Amino acid sequence: MKKMQSTIRRRDFLETGALVGGLVFAAPAILKAQVRNSPSDELRIGFIGCGKQHEVLFNAMQNIQGLHYTAACDIMKNRVGATASRIKSRFGYMPNRYLDAEEMLSKEKDLDAVFVATPDFWHAPHTIMALEAGCHVYCEKMMSNTLEGARSMVKAMDASGKLCQIGHQRRSNPRYRFTLNELIRKEQLCGQIININGQWNRAVGSSQDISVKPSILPDEQTLLKYGFGAGTSAKLSLDQLRQRFLNWRTYKALSGGPISDLGAHQIDVFNWFLGVQPKSVMASGGRDYFRDREHFDNVMCVFEYDTPQGGVRAFYQVLTTTSAGGGYYESFMGTEGTIEISERSAFTNLYRESGAVKDWDALVRRGLLRKTAAVSATGESDAIRAYESAPPDRYDLPGDLNKPPHQPHIENFLAAVRGQEKLTCDARHALESEAPIYWVNPAAENREIIHFTNAHLQV
Amino acid sequence: MKKLFSNPDELAAFLGFLSLRLWLALRAFMTGIEKFAGGVSGQAPVLIDGTPNTYGLTAEQTTKVYGWAHYHGVPEALYNQFEAEPLIPGFLLKAYDLAIGPLLILLGLTLLLGIATRISLFAMALLYTSLTFGLILLKQDAGIAWMGVHIALIALALFQSRHNRFELLRNW
Repeated sequence: MKKMQSTIRRRDFLETGALVGGLVFAAPAILKAQVRNSPSDELRIGFIGCGKQHEVLFNAMQNIQGLHYTAACDIMKNRVGATASRIKSRFGYMPNRYLDAEEMLSKEKDLDAVFVATPDFWHAPHTIMALEAGCHVYCEKMMSNTLEGARSMVKAMDASGKLCQIGHQRRSNPRYRFTLNELIRKEQLCGQIININGQWNRAVGSSQDISVKPSILPDEQTLLKYGFGAGTSAKLSLDQLRQRFLNWRTYKALSGGPISDLGAHQIDVFNWFLGVQPKSVMASGGRDYFRDREHFDNVMCVFEYDTPQGGVRAFYQVLTTTSAGGGYYESFMGTEGTIEISERSAFTNLYRESGAVKDWDALVRRGLLRKTAAVSATGESDAIRAYESAPPDRYDLPGDLNKPPHQPHIENFLAAVRGQEKLTCDARHALESEAPIYWVNPAAENREIIHFTNAHLQV
Repeated sequence: MKKLFSNPDELAAFLGFLSLRLWLALRAFMTGIEKFAGGVSGQAPVLIDGTPNTYGLTAEQTTKVYGWAHYHGVPEALYNQFEAEPLIPGFLLKAYDLAIGPLLILLGLTLLLGIATRISLFAMALLYTSLTFGLILLKQDAGIAWMGVHIALIALALFQSRHNRFELLRNW
């Protein structure tokens, strides 16, 4: 087992120079796998990590043809058993089961691709291990709990010549790709984008600690061996280790906290849609409800961008104590209109400014938009006319995704493995987008504006 | 034409009756047919500028189909309300629900083809009266009035039935 990545030193970056805020992202993924014999060839798949996120991925991929689920691994025996049972009941055969990823990769010599869905602090070691074993890798986001770990994944991808897709599944979602290519870039629906507003508001009830009966959890030696005692010099009890194993998302040495767990998806969309990295971040966070947790329970941050069109400010908030306020979405707000997009159709809305030049109804006729109910009018008794703008007309995207949200991203990965497509989010491009996210927690902890340099953001 | 109608008034009376007969027949027949109608939903690619989009965006498309599987004699919302009515026994409601569609089709056909026109009209009046009975229990005044219009048209048709022509079965 490789030694885990050490935490990056913030000050090492702040000492070095050149501004990269305007760095334009390179073209989409350039990596493409060697063409296999035939598109119908069965790909042999291995799973590292069989927890909750693995279930999401498995449910999204079980309708994809041409896969053989060869092996599954997790340090928790019960989870490996559950995965094997799901495969048996759906496909009629059992995968080989392992409790150690290194053992799985050394014994399973003919795996084509591995799906890594382990805790964040294991993403880099497991991804690198699998790439070095000759497998293509689909790894869940956040790439790693440290920037250094994420960078090591890119290096390993380049060195191995294998594919490494990062699980920012919105990058393959038809709704997002259509919105970016057709509505924002081609039709310039927003006009000049000046602001972005994104959020993930989650209720207290959905943010509670996970607990399961202790008898099915790994023992103390196993938890220590696999690093769940990291980040503290204190002697941890078995209960404390189990708490860390089940709720690793709340510990600093094991994860990046809510801004990384939930925010990474959406801040990735900010950077992807704008096509540039931000030039600075300011942030505020607090442990105001879950006071015993190491990470903030609520974070608000503002990124500033220089784009070819001009400056853009992007506000993002992640709440783990309130679900009201529209759920989760990313809202691109421009002079002509606003596109409020979400993985869920229910949270997606498009608004045309009353003074917009472009005729959106013409786009409706072409099939690019769908018109929905008008926004409530101004001028009612509680409105102060002089202060109000005319209400924008409301529209919707013309269609939906009729699959689980992760399926197109997995399909893209598997098609790339077969040499039929390019990755939509390889590790290099994922890190270009993720790098600024690693600096939100430090900005909030130190109450300072971080002006990004090449050292902060370089891949 | 002179052989069939001795004067223009007779022709007008015939055309008037025929209009009523056709309207009432069509009304019953198509209402019965529609009770076998349902929707089959599926996903279809979104068309942009008339061609399927290349992104994989889909939109729900519902196709109207007919068949026993979609049969609904009494609309579900009304059925649930009738179930709660003490004056409508459950077994009778079930039988009525099963029979009303085929009955409407049958009466529509007999009227259209001129098979026992008078009896068909009267049977149709009984059917609409039975519907009115249910609507009275639910206090659906608009529906009751609407049924009343149907009964008035049937009564008018019966009064004018001596002007009927083109019948397959002239008796009754």
